Amino acid sequence: MSTRIVVDPVTRIEGHLRIEADIENGKIKDAYSSGTMVRLLEEILRGRDPRDAWAYVGRVCGVCTSVHSLTSVRAVEDALDIVIPPNAELVRNIMFCAQYMHDHVVHFYHLHAMDWVDVVNALKADPKKTSELAQSISNWPKSSPGYFSDLQKRIGKFVESGQLGIFSNGYWGHSAYKLPAEVNLIGLAHYLEALEWQKEIVKVHTIFGGKNPHPNYLVGGMACAISTDDVSGLNAERLAYVEQLLKQGKEFIEQVYIPDLMAIASFYKDWGAIGGGLGNYMSYGDLPWNGYRDTSSYKFPAGAILNKDISKVMEVDLRKDDEVQEFIDNSWYEYKGKGGLHPWKGESKIKYTGPKPPFENLDTSKAYSYLKTPRWKGNAMEVGPLSRVLVGYAKGREEFKEVVDKALTDLNVPVTALFSTLGRTAARGLESTLVAQWGIDFFNQLIDNIKKGDTRMADSSKRDPSKWPAKALGVGHAEAPRGALAHWINIEDEKIANYQLVVPTTWNASPRDAKGQVSAYEAALRDTPIADLKQPVEILRTIHSFDPCLACAVHLYDEEGKHISRISVLGD
Amino acid sequence: MEDRLLIMGVGNYLMGDEGVGVHAAQKLLSSGLPEYVDVVDGGTGGFHLLEYFEKYNRVILVDATLDGQKAGTIRLIKPKYAADFPKSMSTHDIGLRDMVNSLQLLDKIPEMYLFVVSIEFIQQQGVEMTDEVEAAMPELLNQVTELAMKLSPAQAAV
Repeated sequence: MSTRIVVDPVTRIEGHLRIEADIENGKIKDAYSSGTMVRLLEEILRGRDPRDAWAYVGRVCGVCTSVHSLTSVRAVEDALDIVIPPNAELVRNIMFCAQYMHDHVVHFYHLHAMDWVDVVNALKADPKKTSELAQSISNWPKSSPGYFSDLQKRIGKFVESGQLGIFSNGYWGHSAYKLPAEVNLIGLAHYLEALEWQKEIVKVHTIFGGKNPHPNYLVGGMACAISTDDVSGLNAERLAYVEQLLKQGKEFIEQVYIPDLMAIASFYKDWGAIGGGLGNYMSYGDLPWNGYRDTSSYKFPAGAILNKDISKVMEVDLRKDDEVQEFIDNSWYEYKGKGGLHPWKGESKIKYTGPKPPFENLDTSKAYSYLKTPRWKGNAMEVGPLSRVLVGYAKGREEFKEVVDKALTDLNVPVTALFSTLGRTAARGLESTLVAQWGIDFFNQLIDNIKKGDTRMADSSKRDPSKWPAKALGVGHAEAPRGALAHWINIEDEKIANYQLVVPTTWNASPRDAKGQVSAYEAALRDTPIADLKQPVEILRTIHSFDPCLACAVHLYDEEGKHISRISVLGD
Repeated sequence: MEDRLLIMGVGNYLMGDEGVGVHAAQKLLSSGLPEYVDVVDGGTGGFHLLEYFEKYNRVILVDATLDGQKAGTIRLIKPKYAADFPKSMSTHDIGLRDMVNSLQLLDKIPEMYLFVVSIEFIQQQGVEMTDEVEAAMPELLNQVTELAMKLSPAQAAV
């Protein structure tokens, strides 16, 4: 007999994700992932000016706000056949890199680390030993015994006062926590340092995008004018500040994030064999060196891998009717016809058939999510850092091979360990080091262009809608931190006739399809050992390794809008 | 930034009444507030907003709440801890609470004034607000402006 446990919500950030898992003999036999909140962006955008779409989609979520705006302007530029100037591409890339550094570091320390790091145990650490350990893994200056003992005192006071605050939802003391107290203390120290650091790197968005959160984008380029002497424009002083921020970002990733990641990973090597899941990986590719249209110039190459076979990378075509399709067999939607729909023909009509809240369990034999089920050529695909890194590695890109092989050697684990929860978490760190360097490379190129006198930042030749075709289809894609993201737009008579977003968390967290094929979350949870039904930290480890973000994956709220901020164990 | 005052409206602009804080910020941006006041449309900013809270010693926040009161009800609270925030502040609440928790850990919590506007829980999509919440807007702007005047650095010095 199996026991069903419910984790809801799984995330502390945007959106509502619910996991129901059936446990048998101490392992997950089957799991169901449900998006319980709905947000109909498609309806909001219909009838609007396509040039404004970026501003609306950028509002969908506070976490990857700018990536949606980027994808949107790319979709409109594709539809209207606009090629943006190289500088605009570089600025978009630099913002992209800053976003990655911010998002990945915040994810690691503030949304995922506490699945591995026991905060309360950190109070037992010996500050002197902690200092020695910290200095043996990194040159990061904040590592004296005094630094660690002061921190311990501060957090200790916090814990004693009962104001655990941000740490109040942890399973402290759970047997699945394996780190020595000293490593826990380093993790905790860097949790706080990362909090301070993250507010710096986002300033890159303020400088190029005019404001933060929700920076400005522009169809045809970017809205920041290069002006070497104008105080309000992109002048030498501001550019120098961007360079400084990018360098500081790289330093933090290399001296704090990566050493911590490797130190923590070395105590959790068993997670290199847990949480693998689908074995199908897909990346749309991103960070063009030579224009968005030249996909061969992407720093993150595009491609799909099936069944963990990294000897073969297949091409992905977002325009083909039979490649990317969305199904609704287990989702709270209805289509006019049957089967899957390519997003250009996509429909988003809600039909809620789930239980009336509050409920104990979803009826998973029927529709159970507000997420649609996307498929690539009929296959369920995992998207995200692991997919990007595997596609780069499988394509033999030197930069990817170097960081991946080094990590495998340092941890002394086989290449198959990549297909796991640990692999996913490690891939996020490894690609952060690549992105940190690329950000600086893009910046240098931008400076080079400016020195040569090229200050073009936007192509305004299609600004006047009378120059547009009566009907136009476009698709824009990006590799959001969480994975492959694309927007499909259908412009008719200067207005948006249809707009569909297929977002990374929909790929990963969607319900099963008509054939019963599970998506990435459900696949990854199968066979995961659960030591304590009341404290299923193992579920959190695997799901958090995907960096779930439901705000854009689901389209409003469930009727009650209830936050169930606890873990419910149902049945026995 | 010791003398400056920040007014920040937060919320999701795409979800009707939930965006009341953002609508308020956008109106306040062009309303000619005193020189010492900065207004920020915080949107669904989450951790991105930490910088603002560290930079200012005094912050007026405007947000929506689902507290069961009649839609359009305006309340001013002075939260000290994250736990003092109203229970249900819709989708973006978790980020905001986490942020306040974080500020506390960093020992950098500003003096906070929080205006909450009650909204009723209905499935809302789109940028338009309901008539009830829209009707509360002039009063909300009045109250925020009044408090901002009261918090002038000159007054604080007295």
